[in-house]
Amino acid sequence: MPALQRPSEADKKDSPHALLPFLQTQSQTTLTRLYQRPSSCLSVFRLLAPLERQIVMNLLWLESAIATSTMVAWVQRDGRKLYEEALGNLSRLHILPNSAAKLALNFTFKTSLRQALTGGGTSGSFGVPAEKDEHSGPSIKTLDSFALERWETILHYMVSSGTGQQPAKPSQGVLFLLQRSSLMSSFHGGPLQITSSGFQFLLHSPHAQLWDLLLQYLHLAQERQMDLVEVLGFLFMLSTMELGREYLTENLSTTQGVLLEDLRDYGLIWQSKPKSRRFSPTRLGTTLTSSSPPLPTTISASSGPLDGFIVLETNYRIYAYTDNPLQTAVLNLFVSLKYRFPNLVVGMITRDSVRRALMNGITADQIISYLITHAHPQMRKNNPLLPVTVQDQIRLWELEKNRLKSSEGYLYTAFTSQADYDLVLNYAKQLDVVLWENAAKRCFFGSLEGHLRIKEFIERRTQNSNS
Amino acid sequence: MSHLSVVLDLPPAQWHRSARHDPPLALPDFLSHVLVFLNAHIANNAENSLAVFGAFPGTSPLLYSSADPVPARLPIDSNSYPSFVHLDHAVARRVTAVLDSLGTDRAPEPSALVGAITKALCYVNRLAISPSSAAPAEHVLPDPRLLILSVSPDLATSYIPIMNSVFSAQKLKVTIDVCQVFGPDTVFLQQAAHLTGGSYIHLERRDALLQYLIMAFLPPPPIRKVLAVPTQDKVDFRAACFCHKNIVDIGFVCSVCLSIFCQPVPVCSTCRTKFPIKTLQRLNQSRPLLPSTPRSTSPKSSPGTPAGARTAPTNGANLARSISTPNELPHSSNIGSRNSNGRSHSMGGSVTNPGPSEAPR
Amino acid sequence: MRAIKGVLFFCDPAVKQILLVMNEKQSFIIEDLDDHHLVIKADEEYRVRRELETELEKNTYSLD
Repeated sequence: MPALQRPSEADKKDSPHALLPFLQTQSQTTLTRLYQRPSSCLSVFRLLAPLERQIVMNLLWLESAIATSTMVAWVQRDGRKLYEEALGNLSRLHILPNSAAKLALNFTFKTSLRQALTGGGTSGSFGVPAEKDEHSGPSIKTLDSFALERWETILHYMVSSGTGQQPAKPSQGVLFLLQRSSLMSSFHGGPLQITSSGFQFLLHSPHAQLWDLLLQYLHLAQERQMDLVEVLGFLFMLSTMELGREYLTENLSTTQGVLLEDLRDYGLIWQSKPKSRRFSPTRLGTTLTSSSPPLPTTISASSGPLDGFIVLETNYRIYAYTDNPLQTAVLNLFVSLKYRFPNLVVGMITRDSVRRALMNGITADQIISYLITHAHPQMRKNNPLLPVTVQDQIRLWELEKNRLKSSEGYLYTAFTSQADYDLVLNYAKQLDVVLWENAAKRCFFGSLEGHLRIKEFIERRTQNSNS
Repeated sequence: MSHLSVVLDLPPAQWHRSARHDPPLALPDFLSHVLVFLNAHIANNAENSLAVFGAFPGTSPLLYSSADPVPARLPIDSNSYPSFVHLDHAVARRVTAVLDSLGTDRAPEPSALVGAITKALCYVNRLAISPSSAAPAEHVLPDPRLLILSVSPDLATSYIPIMNSVFSAQKLKVTIDVCQVFGPDTVFLQQAAHLTGGSYIHLERRDALLQYLIMAFLPPPPIRKVLAVPTQDKVDFRAACFCHKNIVDIGFVCSVCLSIFCQPVPVCSTCRTKFPIKTLQRLNQSRPLLPSTPRSTSPKSSPGTPAGARTAPTNGANLARSISTPNELPHSSNIGSRNSNGRSHSMGGSVTNPGPSEAPR
Repeated sequence: MRAIKGVLFFCDPAVKQILLVMNEKQSFIIEDLDDHHLVIKADEEYRVRRELETELEKNTYSLD
């Protein structure tokens, strides 16, 4: 039995933000155009890792480039590697130009970020606020419940597909995106069904889910020939807006007008009526570049806190203090539910329920991390947070499912001489296709993709030796 | 996320002097540098919290707190980030309001730096305990920091309250950073920074205030492990006596309550412990011919030479060792001087400073 | 020299024994390599996996 690996909870924290790899694939011209907007610079800055942010800040108010060695002098010996990585990341985002001798920020980025910090300028990149007047716009509560309703409609639609229920359908645009991102797919022209990546998606935090979808949207926007700078600029503008304030649509471009409607479907933007001249960002929008929860933490007194409602006992029993149908449905993915009360759902983690989840493509790690992120505050007093027995058992069930590993290929055997065997084996090893070998039996197993080349190699050699 | 409390030392008289000093740094320029720095702290992370306190003569109001509700009438426009506008407006408005209310005719009071520091620590304490009590405090508020931007010289009367603040800060795991923007080095704040693992900077290039602030005081402790921040290589460890509030080179410590005196006393004024007359006499005899400080107001002071100051520690050490025999308790033991190059002489078990028993973090 | 097309199974010895027993009923194994490895006929993989699954299920017990 292979040793169980229990990754510590801290390991996962420091992964870079999901958007950054996407930004790094963009051309320098695109990024420089994006950096012309102070709000975009501020948002991109917030997505960076803490060390990267400090490096940017250190360089921000310098008028001229400084020698690389000057900056390195501040780096502690242990931190050299982290520092070099940070510089690499910044230069891939074209915030720092590639230069060995001098360090200086991209001029556009520097100017815009300075402007963001000091205010002023004429970029208008933070959105045009509407005058507060008699119809003073939506309350924060209205915005929250709107965002929650839209977002849960999407998730609920996903989770109950294929169960025979008929939940409310999200808009056509959302459905298309779910299909494009292969979170859902339709088998043989039938209704949309959730895929295994869709199941995994459901267990992510709302923040990660949001960015998953937005990234898909960005890819789609690229294909639709939408101007990426305008799309990103708009998202970043949303993230710097103030919750509960209304903004005017008048300065938006046509692309951004289209965007406005799409984002309304996702619940990032609220509008009183479709063609309104005003819009309000919801919490989903304003927290895009922060780490606070993108959905309101309490909806009503009965449903309890959205983060932290699960109590898991060592006897595999699970108590979920929730009346939210979506959370219940998500739990149902890997828990066999027993009783349901107005504010409490009780279930068991069983071999069958976990196996069902594993079959759907959910991994043991995802189940465990879902349980950890949604653990009830009472559970947080425990160390380790989840009962070790349950954690280990879930992992064991996963291992049990993978008792048999298979790979297609060819068994090479009956070599005439040891030299022949060695020669072919070495060649196969160079191709890195050997899956199993045994020198005593003079045979080895090579994967399917290596077969043609090995065959050619042997034929060539036979011809050579014959001629 | 991290929390930063900032104390701005804003006595008008001292700032007036600063504006005429060469190179000049007037209050409006100072504030604009500081506001950009505070914006940078908020920019770092949307969840970063911030509290700004002002230390004015006789008053120390809260100028801004990120927990304040955003005023409905805030004039935001499409070119600036609402949180920054809120912060800048609140600080500028309240500073002006307090300065206007101070008037010019009053006798110049020293600025209420200690009051502001204490309030800032109380604020951190409130943040650390209030939200969901189920979670341990460290989860709620990682690495709280306190930044003091001071222009006032040391005020001997504030030694005890500052030291008490330092102990509270250590308990709360608050790092105290200090920037002396104008005027001479302050001994007490230097010690405060040293004892809490913060950094103390005496501003040398006053035109580059913002760069100093960003490089030294913006990074939270985890980042300082990678990108170093300037720290002091010399710390002046001298303490102030409890009787005349003088900064002393050699002090006498009550063996019961650790109060510090500039001369041997028959009765400890803090805990009323009486000391044997013999010990007093011996201590008085063996005192070096040296006043505790040149500007000492103690009645028995006599002028001394710098050379005498250097011999003082050794005398003190011998003295302490000779008198700390158990049968002579209670007694007043000699305090060893902490000389200004930062090396301390620990004397036969006597505590020289009401500093922490544990090493600074 | 010969090259035989097949599927390499990597499994623990217990599973291998079950496979050997199954092989006696309906042969599918091409070569028994060692304790952890077997080569079987490529077109039999799906059937073998399914049968193994039911066989393993017989050996698990649950409370309910």
